[in-house]
Parts: sequence; structure tokens; C-alpha cells
Amino acid sequence: MSAVPHPANPHSPLPPGSTFTPGDWQLLARQWHPVANASKITGAPSKATLLDEALVVYRVKGEVVVARDVCPHRGVPLSMGSHDEEGVVCPYHGLRFGAGGRCNRIPSSPNQAIPAKLNLATYPAVERYGLVWVCLAPDADSPAPLPVMPHWDDAGFQQINCPGFDINGFAGRQVEGFLDVAHFAWIHTDTFADPDNQLVPDYTTVETEHGFRADYISSVSNYSEGFRHLAPADFAWLRRFETHLPFTASLTIHFPGEQRLVILNCASPVSARKTRLFVPIARNFNLEQPVEEVHAFNLCIFEEDRAMVELQRPERLPLDMALEAHIPADRSSIAYRRGLKKMGFGEFFLV
Amino acid sequence: MIDAMSRQGAGNVAVELMRADGAALPAFEAGAHVDVHLPGGLIRQYSIASPPADRSRYVLCVRREPASRGGSASVHERLRVGQALTISTPRNLFALMPGGHHVLVAGGIGITPLLAMAHQLLAGGASFELHYYVRSRQEIAFLRQLQGELGDRVHLHSAEEGRDARQVLPGALDGAGNDHQLYLCGPAAFMDHITAAAQARGWDASRIHSEAFAPVVPVPSADAAAQDAAFEVQLASSGQVYCVPADRTIAQVLGEAGVPLSLSCEMGICGACLTDVVEGMPDHRDSVQSETEKAGNRQITVCCSRSRSPRLTLAL
Ligand code: FES
Ligand code: FES
Ligand SMILES: [Fe+2]
Repeated sequence: MSAVPHPANPHSPLPPGSTFTPGDWQLLARQWHPVANASKITGAPSKATLLDEALVVYRVKGEVVVARDVCPHRGVPLSMGSHDEEGVVCPYHGLRFGAGGRCNRIPSSPNQAIPAKLNLATYPAVERYGLVWVCLAPDADSPAPLPVMPHWDDAGFQQINCPGFDINGFAGRQVEGFLDVAHFAWIHTDTFADPDNQLVPDYTTVETEHGFRADYISSVSNYSEGFRHLAPADFAWLRRFETHLPFTASLTIHFPGEQRLVILNCASPVSARKTRLFVPIARNFNLEQPVEEVHAFNLCIFEEDRAMVELQRPERLPLDMALEAHIPADRSSIAYRRGLKKMGFGEFFLV
Repeated sequence: MIDAMSRQGAGNVAVELMRADGAALPAFEAGAHVDVHLPGGLIRQYSIASPPADRSRYVLCVRREPASRGGSASVHERLRVGQALTISTPRNLFALMPGGHHVLVAGGIGITPLLAMAHQLLAGGASFELHYYVRSRQEIAFLRQLQGELGDRVHLHSAEEGRDARQVLPGALDGAGNDHQLYLCGPAAFMDHITAAAQARGWDASRIHSEAFAPVVPVPSADAAAQDAAFEVQLASSGQVYCVPADRTIAQVLGEAGVPLSLSCEMGICGACLTDVVEGMPDHRDSVQSETEKAGNRQITVCCSRSRSPRLTLAL
């Protein structure tokens, strides 16, 4: 993979002030990461940060454009600008950028042909699962695939996108927490778990093409407080976790009957110390429930997790197994760290 | 230091250790063993056969293993009376349990810990019997003690006389009381046979004791069975060879020898201790490597895995 120099620094491919090591940054930059809820991108430019790179995201004629949030003229952030049918307009000298990030108007010389140098530095972007995904440095030889979310497109399933949720912590810690089944009884007792049901039955992980899968069967119900009675007595809950390294994982919860709830946990690495969590949800039951209730319930869960993830030290995730202690409940965490190590990430935590 | 050595039946040599200054040795319980640092850098575990009440000496007894190029050969060929030896303090993984009657069953050189147990039980006035299976009467170790003070509690079974364990089982296995305890020491197949026979006669596993069976590490894999055998580990860097006995892990043995290791879960789930294999065939007991990784035999978890080959050479 050739390292294209960063526009702001001819000597390095990394954005200025990157909080990642160069090796880790390059590995992360070739992956797809979500940067926004697609429904929030109407026309107006909006701001996002991915891997310490400031981005502007806007829509023109239905197409989403993601570019460096720096006007090629004099470096003002385009996310500060306005927009019209033809694109986003820079607040400083009014240059306008439309489809594909191409400059289509120089107000001070309207008849001047527009040189390529004035086009925005754009990145490949796709919309999937209600999110805008971006790849900062695609690897032409082996392009990274987008994660797969079960059931999102299946008949009878409702699609819900929780609002983006900010965490002052490293994405790897958040994802590991999402995969962690031993903490339910300790911090999710106000939402779905039972403080008296702490046991973690043994489970195994199976390597897959882009990560691993773990089928975890336990008696921890996923009904919220007040709806527990809906589960048949002695119901065995199957939670299927499927990771897509580095920072996406899906959880399919098998409710009684054919009822399924799928949660896609997408931790977007704003920096090594900041994460924006995007969570698309698909379900084929409770369809009359207002989505605001779903948002609110999940927000409580995210908050419960956030409190822990922000306190963990070291902030980054130790991939050297000897640096933290491991218990049998951690099989997924162990598989996660091993998977990241295999992808070539460094120790990942020496802040 | 080595105060005396004596032949104890064909193929066995007893080594009597005393402190050079004649002071008392650390106390030990019957069933305990010491790590002996042998000439050539080997470390071997040997059970103490002498009576625990006697702290003036430890008596070990080592059988010459014809196939061995290691510990037993070193004991037989290189140890001499008067020589100084480094040993660890005694450790007991094979302790006597409270019980109304104790059945001690030895196969061959397995007599050593059971002899100390017999002495301790005799001194404590406890009820016990000792069964000693040998190939021929010439191989009997500590014959004088067995015939003397232990006397009528000892039952000798010689295969040559048609009394091997497959033909003659200790009568005490039948009709065991609930507080009877059974202690086994000897070759793995021998112990398997007696264990199976005892269980078939209603002994529950909690009353059957054998050092080799001591579960030191909770091993998740199902094939982790009682067949554990000792093997050698060699360090590729220094060429040092260590013996990993049936009841200890590679990590324990190397750790005690001061070899730096990286450990975390110590139960084969995290992979912190994965070490490159230079030569030999690991017996994977971990659940952290995938089946493909295991089949490749490139790395081993030293906290719980063992060896299928007599020796493993590790990139340490
Ligand atoms: S108990 Fe697991 S982090 Fe504190
Ligand atoms: S220390 Fe965890 S596998 Fe060996
Ligand atoms: Fe959680």
C-alpha cells in the first residue's frame, strides 16, 4: 500500500495531530467507518471527524459527498458554510462545491474556467444501514468490505437508527465492552439485566472471514424491566455476536418464537481517545412501539456502558495478553484482541 | 549433600541427603517431593521415601530408566557420596487424607511416596495396608524396611509369580467403607487399571488419590485425560533441558527455573503465554488457538499444554 502524503503535510500521510501511530492509522484508514446518520445529511454541510481528520459531509442532488473540511482556496472549514441546490458555499469567498466535491462557482470571476486544484479532497462514501460510511485511504489491491448486518433488509423488519452517541474513550474499548457478556449483571440492571443472574455459561468463539462469531446462550432476558413475564419460563436466550474487525459488531438476540432483534454496534474512531457510536437496529416485533422509546431505552444502555469505557485505563486496548488479566467469560474479548493483533495493529494503548 | 547411596533392588538406587552441617532439614509430610538440581542442569522431582519423623535426612529412590538420557541416568551415573546437591524445599501434591483405613498401592518405583506414607501412618497408629507390585522380587526397593517395621501390613505381588495387578487386586478394594482412602503411585497404565477397578467396586473418585492425577490447572479441553506423562522441555537459546512431570505445567517448571514467561489467565484461554515451538509435537490443551493453528503446531500455550513427543524445544 502506498502512503499518499496528506495534503496538509507532504512528509506524512497522517492528518496533523494524529493520535494514532502511523502504522495503526494506515490500517484503520483503509477500512470503512461510519461518520453520520444518513438521514441527518440533507443538503447542508455537516461536520464529522474520523481518525483525527476533519470532514465535511453534505448532499447534493441526492448524492452524499464526504471531503476534508478545508476549503482548497484559503483553508476555511466548509462545514461553516451554507448550501443551495448546486452545492455547499464556503463562508469566506463564496466558492461553491457540488457533486463529487467539484468546484462549480467562483463568485469573484464567474467566467473563469475552474482548475482541478480547486476541487475538494473527497473520500469514497457509501450509504448503508442508514449510515454514511467513509474510507480515508482505500487499498486498491484489496478493498475493505463493508460490515454485514443480519436482517436489515429482510421482509417484516423495521429499521431504526439511534442518534450518534459520543464517548470519551477509545473505540476498541467500546467494542470489547459490547462483546463482553459478564458485565450485564453489573451495569445493565436498570435496563435489561438481573443483578442476581451473574453467571456466564461457557461459550466459544469461531473465527470468520472478517472477525469471529460467538453464540452465547444464557438465561439473561432481553426484555426490559416490566416485560419479563413475556418470556416463557426457563427460556434460553441466544445472543449471536458477529464481529467485523476492527470496530463493528452485530448482536442478534433471539427472542421467543421467531422474534429477532439485531443491534449493529459501529464504533467510529474520531481519534484514539474519542469515539462516536452509531447503532442501527432491526427488529421484526413491537413494530407499533414509537422509535423514540427505542432510542431512549438504548440511550440508557449506552450511558451505562460509557461510564465504564471512559474510566478504563490504559485508555487504549492492550493487545499484549499478558498486560491484563483474563477470565473465562472473556473468550470474546480475547478473540477480539487476537483478531486485532492479527490484522497488524500495534500494542494499541501506550498513550 | 549426599550422605549415602545404596542399591535398592535391581535397577534402583537410593540417595540419602543430609545437610552438610548436620542440622535438621525442613519438615515434610508423607507424599511430598523435592526438586533436585542434577549435574548437567536437569531438574527432576523425586518423592521422599523416608519417614517424615526423621528430619536428619531425606531418602529418595530412583529407578534407572533404560530409555532415559536424562534424569535417571544422571542420578545413576553422576551422583557420588559426599557430593553437594541443590534441592528445593519439599512440596506436597499427594497428601494423606483423613480416613478410617488407608490402602496404599504401589507399582514399581511408585513405592517411594507410599513408603513415607506407611511410616507416617504407622507412627500415627492409623489403620493401613500397603500393596507393592513388582515384576520380580529382585526389584523390590527398601526390602528390609518392608519386612521389618511395616511387617504384616505389607503385601508383595510379583508378576513373575503370577501376581500382577491384572491378576490379583488388593482385597481391600472390595467392600470399602465410606471413610477408606486409596493412594496410588506407579506407571500411568497401572494407576488407570487400579482406579477403574476401584471405581467399579464403588469407590468414588474423591477417595482415590494419586499424584499424577492432581489437577494443577483447570484444563478446558475434553481430551485432557489422566494419561499425562512426563516430558522434557528444552530452551532453544541455552540448550537447557527441564523435565515437566505429569502433575506440573511447562510454565510452572520454567517459572521456577527463572525463565521469563508471559502469563495471564493460566488456563489456556488468553494466549499470553503462546511460545514458538522449534521442535517436537505439542499436545495442545488450550482453547485459545484455532484448530488450524493447533494443527500447524507452531506455537504452544505453556500454561497448560503438554507434549506428544518426549521432548519439546521452545524458542525461549
Ligand atoms: S470488574 Fe472488570 S473492570 Fe472492574
Ligand atoms: S496464560 Fe493464558 S493461555 Fe497461557
Ligand atoms: Fe454493555
